[in-house]
Amino acid sequence: METIKNYLESMFANLPNTPEVLRAKNELLSMMEDKFTELISEGKLQNEAVGIVISEFGNLEELAESLGIEGVVGGNDTEQRRLVTNEEAMNYIYDASQNRMLIGFGVMLIIFSPICPIILNDIGAAFLFIVVSIGVGLIVWANIRMSQWKFLDNTLCCIDYSTADYIYNAKKNNMMSKALMLTIGIMFCIVSVVPVIFFEEMFSSKGLYYVMIGPAMLFVIVGIGVLLIIASSAKDGAYTKLLSLNGTGTVAGSYEAVRAEKEPYVDKKAAAGVMSVYWRTVTCIYIIWSFISFDWHITWIIWPIASVFHGIIKTIFNTKW
Amino acid sequence: MVEISSDVIRGYNDTMILFILMEEPSYGYEISKKIRALSEEKYIIKETTLYSAFTRMEKNGYVESYSQNADNGKKRTYYKITESGKNYYHEKCLEWYLTKEVVENFIRGDK
Repeated sequence: METIKNYLESMFANLPNTPEVLRAKNELLSMMEDKFTELISEGKLQNEAVGIVISEFGNLEELAESLGIEGVVGGNDTEQRRLVTNEEAMNYIYDASQNRMLIGFGVMLIIFSPICPIILNDIGAAFLFIVVSIGVGLIVWANIRMSQWKFLDNTLCCIDYSTADYIYNAKKNNMMSKALMLTIGIMFCIVSVVPVIFFEEMFSSKGLYYVMIGPAMLFVIVGIGVLLIIASSAKDGAYTKLLSLNGTGTVAGSYEAVRAEKEPYVDKKAAAGVMSVYWRTVTCIYIIWSFISFDWHITWIIWPIASVFHGIIKTIFNTKW
Repeated sequence: MVEISSDVIRGYNDTMILFILMEEPSYGYEISKKIRALSEEKYIIKETTLYSAFTRMEKNGYVESYSQNADNGKKRTYYKITESGKNYYHEKCLEWYLTKEVVENFIRGDK
């Protein structure tokens, strides 16, 4: 029965989401269901029954007149959407989540970098640049890797019913680990000050070198925390993106699964323009501020603040139009 | 094997459906099953054909639809023939007699 349902959903996927169309879909499904149940009770095999039902379904052109969708079925004046296949969707999820991890590691290295001057004093500054450059390198590389998926932003795309359904379930299953990673990440950031206090209290009599372990550990903990926060949304971001591809006006765009995760399409160009330079700008500000002031113990605060602003900007762009 | 041409039969899908609804109100699958049985399995009406006939005839006022729970508890849309549907059916029957008469004159089974 799943196969029949999927077949019908994909037939209707690009039709406008009107009451007439939905009614037709339900009626047709009900008829197909009846036929399927009867074939099974007559002793037909599952596959055989599915084959018979689908072959006797007919074609949508016949419905066009009664649904007021002549133009759509003919495919003449509809906007052509590029279908993202199931395989492509899986590849995208893989690439996007790997990409997020790369960015996460890049950011983590940049946060780690001040440890070098803290522990190694003057010579550490040289290592700082090396670590920062590796970090930035990772972020740049990650962005270049993703350029093959640019079309998801630039062209109207869609996914079919079974892919949407699969992604929605995967997303739901991922919720728990996402929340867990996010929580642990945030906790890491909060407790990061503990070693600073601890080492200062315990070892202030034993010399400066021991006291320095505190701030060094702060960066390690914050770095791991930020990595966890970024990694937590790695897969989820990709799922959401794919689910938001289908147009809201069509049947496919109003699957329960898609509706739950709708990002409006219209703003993409403006938002993408701002977003493409956002993290680079933040990185620049972080590095410049840090080197001018040398207040490494304070400047890392720019990362959590930046991610809060990132969220705010995204919300504004999505609701403005 | 000779198969029925959908172009020819198209004009008479409504007639078949109305014939079945003359007996009693019915729903999609039951109607398609009866058409299949009465035609001795020679004509299987497609789901889309059936549904577009329903909507067209409802718009023209030949049938009325209402939902009702079937024996197994499933909610189904039932169709009922109206007075103007009955008139239309009789017209179609007369039309068919004429069509048959005319076409018959041009048919020769042998080669």
